[in-house]
Amino acid sequence: MRIEHKRARLVFHIRDLKLEWAIEPRYWRNPLLAVAGLALLPLVIISKPDYLTLLTTANIYAAVAIPLAWQMVGIGRMNFGPQFFVGIGGFAAALLSIHLGWGPWQTLGIVILLGLGFGLALSPLTTIAKGLYFSLITLVLPLIFLEFTYVYTDVFKGETGLSGIAPLVNFGKIRTNYLVSCYFSLGLMLLSLYIVDKVLRSRIGLYEAAINDDEDVAETCGLNINGWKILCFTVTSVMIAVTGWFAAHYYGTFSGITYLHLPFMVKILLIVMIGGRGELYGSIVGAYFVAFLEQALTILGPVHYIVFPFVLLIMLSTLREGLYGLYRRHKYREYYPTIRVRKR
Amino acid sequence: MLLKIQDLTKSFGGLVAVHKVSLSIEKGEVVGLIGPNGAGKTTLMNLISGYHKAISGRIEFDGADITGARPHKICRRGISRTFQIPRPFPDLTALANVAVGVLCGKHRPHMSYSDGLLDASHCLEFVGLFGKRNTLARDLTLYELRALELARALATTPKLIMIDEVMAGLNPGEASRAIKLVRRMIEEYHITIFWIEHVMKVIMEATERVIVLHYGEKIASGPPQEIVHDPKIIEAYLGEKIA
Repeated sequence: MRIEHKRARLVFHIRDLKLEWAIEPRYWRNPLLAVAGLALLPLVIISKPDYLTLLTTANIYAAVAIPLAWQMVGIGRMNFGPQFFVGIGGFAAALLSIHLGWGPWQTLGIVILLGLGFGLALSPLTTIAKGLYFSLITLVLPLIFLEFTYVYTDVFKGETGLSGIAPLVNFGKIRTNYLVSCYFSLGLMLLSLYIVDKVLRSRIGLYEAAINDDEDVAETCGLNINGWKILCFTVTSVMIAVTGWFAAHYYGTFSGITYLHLPFMVKILLIVMIGGRGELYGSIVGAYFVAFLEQALTILGPVHYIVFPFVLLIMLSTLREGLYGLYRRHKYREYYPTIRVRKR
Repeated sequence: MLLKIQDLTKSFGGLVAVHKVSLSIEKGEVVGLIGPNGAGKTTLMNLISGYHKAISGRIEFDGADITGARPHKICRRGISRTFQIPRPFPDLTALANVAVGVLCGKHRPHMSYSDGLLDASHCLEFVGLFGKRNTLARDLTLYELRALELARALATTPKLIMIDEVMAGLNPGEASRAIKLVRRMIEEYHITIFWIEHVMKVIMEATERVIVLHYGEKIASGPPQEIVHDPKIIEAYLGEKIA
């Protein structure tokens, strides 16, 4: 392997593979500003643990929505059951923690392996089932898992769920725990964002955009579409399973009714759509918006159960490009490097 | 011999679209494929590119058996194609459309993403679309889409390009530009061309040999001047009375 610095890029030569990494600071400005804003927010509201929990919840939503947004592009299909992998991660962490007394870092490895295994096992669906069939199959998967948790109540504890899971952090002070957990969730979400952003800006992003547009044509252009779809589905499944692991260790309880049921799925899909229809950064905007809106509407009392989906549905029908589309319409700038052909 | 097809057969249900077709194409040849509507021309192209699987027969390309191979493997071996109705990646820019061909086609070592974009811009310049490199493919005109398809096919570094009715839907001015473009492609890149076309004038001028399909069967093969005077061909196109 050889590394060279060339025109504001790091060029990695690995055998006959050549990879480039742009290190121009002008690409960093906006993401850095956004990250700084998100990092300061918990410190601003440190006196209100409720709001810290709210931020953590928003980060969890975003950590599911970001890989889902990538998956929608990468496999060219709509997955209606991302929460299946939240369930895999959450239940695996909970069962290992409760029965074997494992801590969060010990359960993480198993959760990754399980996410990988189930992701790989289900990934052929991306090549076999098209369009509506794929959506229907993925919609049914978490519901089957939910039924499974009811049938084996002695293991999964049915509706009440599993409790007594080892906490993620324990500093002795509740407020510190909330704050550290909030930053932990922010880190998890930003890590997801960083991975997906890097992938989508690379040649893999181009391949996946081509698959999303017309997979038959992409294949006649020399792209191994099945390989890339399987890879995308498996990696995103692992990422979503890790979010389930985080949720289980953060809340200390994990139940199928909370994560595997349709309301959670609808919330995640609405986040992706309201944020900006498969837009990566839109997923974060959508997650924060939905989490805060849900909290804000609780002042209406029980009627908020009706008002909340109603507001989201209105937004879905009126904001065609989602909330991120509002920003992009005014601020969008094409940072695609302009290439000039030198004639001499 | 670059491409050799033996007894290729394909049927859709009870309809035999291609029946025991055998043909061969030499390196550097420009071969036309003609036939009335429904003769099986596009199906034959789909079979060669791996888009459809043949029920019997054998396809050899550059000495290797590619029968039943996946389309991406066939493309990487050096067969590229355009579509009768242009099928770009509509939400990608013209540059990105061609870059897919550059990066996914023939394996080229030491080709980074940026290098791929640069190579794609060369292909776009060749077909006269460099000025539209940042335009989304869905916003291009029909002629531009045809040029984009040629650029994308060229970008995969093929040995054989199969062109499916490049003239369809173009006005006379655009059609003559398209012919010039294909000719320039042959002259500068020395690529073998397998060209489906309905416009006989183009076939007469541009090809060295013509293969005629009728009801899925090969009924004639030879120089274009001989083919157009063959009563069998006239009968296939215009009916028995006129022939």
